[in-house]
Amino acid sequence: MGVAEFLKDTVDSFLGGRGKSSITVPVMDGPLQPNDALEHAAVAIEVPGIDNLIARGDGLLVSSGNRVLRVADGQAKVELEFPSEVMSMAVRGDGVLAVGLDGVGLLLCGADGNQKKVEQIDDIRLTCPTAMTFDAAGALHVCNGSATTGARDWPRDLLEIGRSGAVVRMDPETGSGAVLATGLAYPSGICITGTGDVVVSEAWRHRLVRLSSGAAGEPVPVLEDLPAYPGRIARSSAGGYWLAAFAVRSQLQEFVLREHSYRRQMMAEVSPEYWIAPALSSGHSFMEPLQAGGVIRLGIHKPWAPTRSYGLVVELDGDFVPLASAHSRAGGRHHGVTSLVETDGQLLVTAKGAGRLLTLQTNAFRHSLGKAGRRTAP
Amino acid sequence: MEAVTQLYYRYFPEKVLGEVLTKRWSDNFVPAFAALLVIGVFLVRDPAFFNLASLTETSRQLAEFSIVVVAMGIVLLAGGLDLSVGSVFALANITALICMNLLGWPVWATVCATLAIGALCGAVNGFLIGYLRIRAFLTTLVTLIIIRSIVDIILLHYAVQISAVFPDSELWYFIGEGTVLGFPVSFLVALVIIAAWHVCLTRARFGWHLSAVGGGRRSAYNAGLNVKRTVFLTYVWSGVLAATAGLFFAARLGSAGSDTGVGLEIAALTAAVLGGNSLGGGRGSVMKSILGAIVVLILTDSMVRVGISGGISSAILGGVLLLVVAIDVRWLKNRHKILNKVYVSPSYFRLPEMPETAAGSDSPYALNDRLRSVELIGKGEIEGPEDVIFDRADNLYCPNRHGDIVRFLAPDYRDWEIFAHIGGHPLGMAFDRDDNLNVCVGGMGLYRISPDRRVEKLTDETNRTFLSVIDDSRLKLADDLDIAPDGRIFFSEATIRYDMHDWAYDALESRGNGRLICYDPRDRSTRTILRDLQFPNGVCMAGDGQSFFFAETWGCRINRYWFDGPNKGRCETVVPNLPGYPDNINRASDGNFWVALVGMRSPALDLALRRPGLRKRMATRVARDEWLFPNINTGCVLKFSADGEVLESYWDLGGVNHPMVTSMREHKGHLYLGGLYNDRIGRLKLPDADPEWASQDFYWGRSNGGR
Repeated sequence: MGVAEFLKDTVDSFLGGRGKSSITVPVMDGPLQPNDALEHAAVAIEVPGIDNLIARGDGLLVSSGNRVLRVADGQAKVELEFPSEVMSMAVRGDGVLAVGLDGVGLLLCGADGNQKKVEQIDDIRLTCPTAMTFDAAGALHVCNGSATTGARDWPRDLLEIGRSGAVVRMDPETGSGAVLATGLAYPSGICITGTGDVVVSEAWRHRLVRLSSGAAGEPVPVLEDLPAYPGRIARSSAGGYWLAAFAVRSQLQEFVLREHSYRRQMMAEVSPEYWIAPALSSGHSFMEPLQAGGVIRLGIHKPWAPTRSYGLVVELDGDFVPLASAHSRAGGRHHGVTSLVETDGQLLVTAKGAGRLLTLQTNAFRHSLGKAGRRTAP
Repeated sequence: MEAVTQLYYRYFPEKVLGEVLTKRWSDNFVPAFAALLVIGVFLVRDPAFFNLASLTETSRQLAEFSIVVVAMGIVLLAGGLDLSVGSVFALANITALICMNLLGWPVWATVCATLAIGALCGAVNGFLIGYLRIRAFLTTLVTLIIIRSIVDIILLHYAVQISAVFPDSELWYFIGEGTVLGFPVSFLVALVIIAAWHVCLTRARFGWHLSAVGGGRRSAYNAGLNVKRTVFLTYVWSGVLAATAGLFFAARLGSAGSDTGVGLEIAALTAAVLGGNSLGGGRGSVMKSILGAIVVLILTDSMVRVGISGGISSAILGGVLLLVVAIDVRWLKNRHKILNKVYVSPSYFRLPEMPETAAGSDSPYALNDRLRSVELIGKGEIEGPEDVIFDRADNLYCPNRHGDIVRFLAPDYRDWEIFAHIGGHPLGMAFDRDDNLNVCVGGMGLYRISPDRRVEKLTDETNRTFLSVIDDSRLKLADDLDIAPDGRIFFSEATIRYDMHDWAYDALESRGNGRLICYDPRDRSTRTILRDLQFPNGVCMAGDGQSFFFAETWGCRINRYWFDGPNKGRCETVVPNLPGYPDNINRASDGNFWVALVGMRSPALDLALRRPGLRKRMATRVARDEWLFPNINTGCVLKFSADGEVLESYWDLGGVNHPMVTSMREHKGHLYLGGLYNDRIGRLKLPDADPEWASQDFYWGRSNGGR
């Protein structure tokens, strides 16, 4: 950092929030205009701790805790069980299943039942595998959210202002690979575009970035200034993408992230479930921090109230421009959306905060939300 | 580090800064500082300036000049501008000289004629501006030129004759050069004029009308003021005062120079605005004008002494005017922003470790679902029943946020009526011996409603704290009360720094801003008995006739205060370190006491209470709806014994049925729950309670006070 920049930041912080000290959060407007579509979505099945949903040829696979379950006909059957919590999954056309285990690394399960463990690519230890996907050539791309904390402790990485995430590419057959990017602020979602580019959700920087094809070079933002923390990305049948946002930003959160000594003391003295931090679900204890707008008045919890947890699904076009969104707002249940899959005109959404698999009709989604929120790309 | 924070916030009166800025007189700080600075510089540079002869001469000049500035200040205050003061000054000078020197009139006639000429000039201005609604700037610019021409014409004809004659009047010379007790006459007269105008502007009807008209013509008109006449009169007074100054000038120098009063209007305007009178009207005072006059006079004098030529000194004066006008505009625009930033002043407060509340633990606070079976009364029909109470006929009374007292009729409490309307937001209630309902009304004070629905104010003010900056004599947030057996009413005022709806700011401060007050109906006196309490809330007599319990909401504790008997004046904490924020306290049928916890503590907020700087920055940078807040969505009811042991608790975990509990009242085997933000009253069956017990009968006896 140059001296001039340092001086500017110092002045900004004293003048009460300009530049980097600004705690402004973009409003949910335009395509992100709030609605209750996600809150009113049909519940397909309830699975406590439901997390990563992927489509396999013979059905849907969903992770929950240490297990991977197969969902069919409204039933969830345990298919695989692991010694550690499953944080992410991906499946290849030939049946190879890649599973990311919290604190351990990757496990590649061949269709023949062989399992292969991969713990490290170059100097990146894959202890926080937040999302992964196979590309057309069959190579696996993995987001490693943080070098210091596991994926279950993601609020800690946010409060520690984690910038230690990485993205790697590996060949499942040989186990060798390459590091595509480092220094990312919690990469938590990944997809391969039609042109073969890798696009990653960088949660703590509230943006999606395109990784340049060479090993060197800065990531290029494709969607910035989101009011939420973006997570996993899925292809849509319309040629665009679905984005799951696992939590929303708040002014108070941005403020606390800039109050370094309070932030550290809170992490040291307060137990994590009561931190001022986003969560996948909230309202379980009165010891959770409450913000003024969240006070119930005359029996009504205002839906605009600032909240620790939120449910948000965003539809993006092929250029990552938001088109429409489905919300579950403050006081709702369907919070903490972690993954989504589109099949047969239906969007299946996992709300980890509620432990539910939800179904949204993509037609209805576009029809009902488009009018309220759709805006043509500039 | 934390110890340093603690010491700083205990001893550094940061909150006073904000309180001072709420005062109108804080506008005077800058001009006062400027005056002291200019005087100080001169004291160092030119000590001769401050010898007696020089000071006497200066004070004569100052007297004349400050009268003109006061005139300018009056016009500015009413939203106008008078550029003709310099010309009127010159005309008054020449008029007085003609009367004395040429016509040989006596002094009293001269004075009358001069002042009349001044009033006439002012009346012309006032008529054109006030009644014909011509712009003040143009009008007075034109009269400036016309009157100046008249003066020049008179001078052309009579200047030589005037200088040739010396009036034969001791009184005339006494006015110009005499002293009383060492003070020049003109200076003393100026003091009298200043004092009179100060009283007029701050205390008298005419002065208030001026401020009102200057602050907003339309509003003043709508309020029924005669705007045109008020504006007219300001110019008349301006003319009279300018003529007074001209009279003193004539008596002092007796010269009919052509440059008399030239540029005086700019100097006076500079002084008035420099002193802090707003150009836009509505804000100004005599003191501001005087401060400005001192600075400008010393400045111009000094420029003469230093040897700066007239042209350049005028330019400097113009520069000063430009500068102060810019400051005036910026200050007016940003004053409330600065105030917003500095008024909220959080303090250091460290709570002990929170007691265990986990369900299943053996703590008396252990979570349970005992409030889940609460029945609801008046759901959706009532807004904000902070307290509930019963009369002897079992009717239920509660306040609402519209300022009414609502009565639900026994026995099923299905029908309700408005018992009385008070206004404000009624909060705590208590019946006295004669079945009058005494009510604390947020924003208003202590009120009493008789059984035949007559509303009577008992008190709305108490003694003002010595040396307090903000006026704390008015009751801003009377909260809860109870009545001693001798009829004295003890009530709490939650905070003196914020109004009813800004109580969240007080939570953010967590300082002792509240107090306990006693109203004695025997001599109708009100006096503060205990100060610096952290949001004192519920008050309940302990039953010994000598003491009562009161809750300190942000302090998370319950105290006992002895108002009589051997322990009189003692205050001790009986229940420290509650897991939440206590609100109202009431008697239970088994001799113990109920207390409502309006909200629960959260660890992140407890930690923030130890960091006042953090909360201050939060208050200024984070939107109010986003603030970290005491969790008042969950509450509970506790029972504690007179010696401070917490016996049991009643919770509603989800807060579905009854989100907030601010008060509870036991009545005939049931517990009734009120909540400030609720739209319902809760009713819970108490299986073990005495089904015949009623608080009113228990405390005051079954008989109806002899009636």
